[in-house]
Amino acid sequence: MTDREHSRDNSKSRQGRVLILLDGSRTSYSALEAAAEIAARRGSDVLGVFVEEVNLLRSAGYGFTREVGSVSGISRPFDPEQLEQRMRRMAGHARQALARAVAGRGGQHDLKVARGSAVGELLALARPDDLLVLGMPRLNMVSGLLPGSPARGLIRESPARVLLWCEQRVPERSRVVVALNDHREANIRAIRTAVEASRHYQRPVTVLLPPGSQDREQEEAIRREPGLAGTDLRVRTLPATDPGSIARVLREEAASHLVLSRDNHLFREPGGDLLLAQLRLPVIITP
Amino acid sequence: MTLPEPLTSEQVYCRCPLELLEFETTESLEDLELPCGQERVLRALEFGAGISADGFNLFVLGPSGAGKHQLVERVLSRHASQQSVPPDWCYVHNFQAADRPRAIRFPAGQGQQFRRDMADLAAELRTAIPATFESEEYQARLQEVQEETARKQHQGLFEVQEEANRNNIAMISTPAGFTFAPMRNGEVIDPEEYKKFSDEEKQLVESKVEDLQKRLQQTIQQIPRLRKEVRERVHALNEEMVQLTLGGPIGELREKWSHIPEVLAYLDAVREDVVEHAEAFQDSEKGPPAALMVRYGVNLLVDNSDTTGAPIIYEDLPNHQHLSGHIEHRASHGTLYTDFTLIRGGAIHRASGGYLILDARRVLTQPMAWESLKRILFSGQVSIESLERLYGLVTTASLQPEPLPVSVKVVLLGDRTLYYLLSHYDPDFLDLFKVAADFEDDLSRDQGSYLLYARMIATMARQLKARPLDRGAVARLIEHASRLAADQRKLTAHDRVLGDLLSEASYWAGQEGVDTVAASHIQKAIDEREYRASRLRDLTHEQISRGLVMIATEGEQVGQINGLSVLRLGAFMFGQPSRITATARPGRGQVVDIEREAKLGGPIHSKAVMILSRFLASRYAPEQNLSLSASLAFEQSYGGVEGDSASVAETCVLLSAIARIPLRQHFAVTGSMNQHGEVQAVGGVNEKIEGFFEVCRNAGEVRGHGVLLPASNVEHLMLNEAVRQAVERGDFAIYPVSHINQAIELLTGMEAGEPDEQGVFPEGSFNRAVADRLEQFAEASRKPDDSRDSGENNGGNPGD
Repeated sequence: MTDREHSRDNSKSRQGRVLILLDGSRTSYSALEAAAEIAARRGSDVLGVFVEEVNLLRSAGYGFTREVGSVSGISRPFDPEQLEQRMRRMAGHARQALARAVAGRGGQHDLKVARGSAVGELLALARPDDLLVLGMPRLNMVSGLLPGSPARGLIRESPARVLLWCEQRVPERSRVVVALNDHREANIRAIRTAVEASRHYQRPVTVLLPPGSQDREQEEAIRREPGLAGTDLRVRTLPATDPGSIARVLREEAASHLVLSRDNHLFREPGGDLLLAQLRLPVIITP
Repeated sequence: MTLPEPLTSEQVYCRCPLELLEFETTESLEDLELPCGQERVLRALEFGAGISADGFNLFVLGPSGAGKHQLVERVLSRHASQQSVPPDWCYVHNFQAADRPRAIRFPAGQGQQFRRDMADLAAELRTAIPATFESEEYQARLQEVQEETARKQHQGLFEVQEEANRNNIAMISTPAGFTFAPMRNGEVIDPEEYKKFSDEEKQLVESKVEDLQKRLQQTIQQIPRLRKEVRERVHALNEEMVQLTLGGPIGELREKWSHIPEVLAYLDAVREDVVEHAEAFQDSEKGPPAALMVRYGVNLLVDNSDTTGAPIIYEDLPNHQHLSGHIEHRASHGTLYTDFTLIRGGAIHRASGGYLILDARRVLTQPMAWESLKRILFSGQVSIESLERLYGLVTTASLQPEPLPVSVKVVLLGDRTLYYLLSHYDPDFLDLFKVAADFEDDLSRDQGSYLLYARMIATMARQLKARPLDRGAVARLIEHASRLAADQRKLTAHDRVLGDLLSEASYWAGQEGVDTVAASHIQKAIDEREYRASRLRDLTHEQISRGLVMIATEGEQVGQINGLSVLRLGAFMFGQPSRITATARPGRGQVVDIEREAKLGGPIHSKAVMILSRFLASRYAPEQNLSLSASLAFEQSYGGVEGDSASVAETCVLLSAIARIPLRQHFAVTGSMNQHGEVQAVGGVNEKIEGFFEVCRNAGEVRGHGVLLPASNVEHLMLNEAVRQAVERGDFAIYPVSHINQAIELLTGMEAGEPDEQGVFPEGSFNRAVADRLEQFAEASRKPDDSRDSGENNGGNPGD
């Protein structure tokens, strides 16, 4: 069930595609703007993905299920017909929003409307050179990075980079911060992503080394990395990997973006993904 | 009757004796601290300035140019220097009600210090508080609070989700929230398949779902409480940190200003406010918003740091705003806003504890200024309100600053008319201005006053930066001061005229290249001033010379005389002769005042004509009806006649018309007369005499001419040089007359004649001729056809 907006050969992506998950939420539309801008800069196409969650449709089919409001806590009947209508309406909105976002930026776009699970659909579509963009659910939306949420599943399995987008007020003199770990290949991917973001947003880079790193060679190697040499690069060693320490360092560095690998310690620390939701800054997770 | 002798040149001018002026130039004379001859006003000022009871404000009344302002300032300065300096007043933000700024009183000079202290504190707030918020300690504690709360928030959700998972129930996100449904292998079971479940299984699932929904509902509904809790905890943390940061600087200020309880209360309010707005200080880049920081500023409304003694303030534009202060507004992005820093004090604020000098006329001509001033004086406090608000023209919200108590002595300067009008029409006036300081117009001229007056001139010359005057110049100026006072025994007290003359004389001296002003320079200044102002006088005299205005200065005429009148144009006065004519015929005893009939005569002139009617009746027809129909007119007079100074001339011309005896036209006459024929003093005699002298001179001959004036006016004569010389040569005669008979004899050359015991005047006398003629009129009136007069008498003044 692919809805093609422009007739073209989809396989000939210029710089990999930008995949954006549109779920009707405000954060997903905000992320759509960011995705369209990134795509325009990279010369990429934008592929919007709207997934009619099967689990959701099925749950509406039970007469006894109710929908509990995420803010009010009020429960109300869950009608399958209404849900179907709502899905269709949201898909229509997503299509219009996608067209508006891309219009004027010169890229091409598609909207894929699928029925299944968001994680499954995105993983099926994603290629290594793509960028997956998801709106970071706001903390008060509670769903955040709960186990089983699309974000968490994608972070773990995506072959492509994932951008958890968050609207933010970018302070002056802010920096793109990249947190490294012990995995060399993952570090290289993270640094290159950080360099790309640095160019894109015209911000200097801060590299955070894992605790105990005293390897001068590694630091030198980072400084020689194409795109970083000669820039206002700052290399710091994290005092600890707990979410609190990382949050403090990010504040000190006035981070505008955080880049880290999905193997980063943070995802293994209790409360790590909660921290990501609380940081209120865009996070790029590399494979 | 004895005829008066003409006046000598010494009698028509009182010279200033040079021997009494024992100095070379005014340079050697000391300044005169207080003006001479103004003891009354000085005593009033001293009393008014010293008394502190309510309502004892001063009204200094006197003519303009009398030097009221300078004298008042001088007297008040002496009092003010002995008084203590009044306090400073500041307006500060009112943290309880922002639209009602608070006023704080400080000992003199400390307001400025407090303003500096608060500015320092604000600067410290800008740096110290952000530093506190950026500190490791604060960040760590904030993190703890937030993490704990977030954990609490999510814990409930996790628990619900875990319990659902344990029971094979999926917790699914919906666009608006969550829902629960049975699951198998991580996927929601198809509802069709679910139908195959046993009733027992279904009941189990459904009750569990219901239970989970309730638990989720409860969990979510706790989130606002958790959020409130975190806000409170963060606020408490901020408060604690800010208290610690502010503890030092505010503690120091509290100690420093412990003697002023209002300051301590204000500092406490500042601390609470900073804590309240602690979050606003967290942005270390932009700093706290300016609108916040302005609240910690100080508006020093009254600063007496440089004041010595009590203040003396003169407000030259005493409108409402300038008196009681105003609130300014700033425009920003098309809107107007204000705050306590834009409150501006008025003259009352600055003068509080001292004296405020105002020009009464200016206060009265400014809208609401007089009412505002009275309100302040009655209430003893000043509220700053805009004029629009007082008039009820605006209803927009504005500031209402706390009223300030004021204790001010107001000194109003004004002319006498204003004082009397205010006393009569404003019932509050005498309650508020109980001390009247009345300036003398003139000072006594006697031997003791010459040197004092000379010192006053010397002081004035130095103040005006004029050249020093020599003795002759001072003497001439003193003589001119007598002329200005129109009295040989008085000297004018008008500073302005004398000051102007001094400046002009100094100028003329400068033109001659001399360093000292001589009598000739004073005379030059007098002559030049006169010349500049005399265009209309010269025009009038030219019209007389050319015969356009008919004035006879030679020969004799029946029923015609030269009266003398004075015209005042601005500050310049000049005299000119006027032809007065009379007609007489039988009638019902009335004298028609043509000026009055034509509505050109004023009430005083009408009164004078009535007096002369009664004089005629009582003198010439004491026992019978006066049969007379006479008329009097000022010929070629189109601008109105007022005053009684022509009544001697009018009597003489009327008697001439009755008796048909001609009057000498080389005389002019001035003087008023009572019902008994006594001649009384009049004003403007110098200008009148000089005016007639000028007309005679223009006609070609002065010799043999003269003026008759009341004998009581002789001491008012200060005639100019030309007249004096003519008098000295005997060419021009000035006769002082004290009775109408003397005037008659001088004008006719006939004996006037005194009545005998039967009231009969001597044969051949002037009065006999008048009486005889009136008898003839009476005879004529008694004839049967005398009713011919009745028609023309209708509407006339009966005279009796």
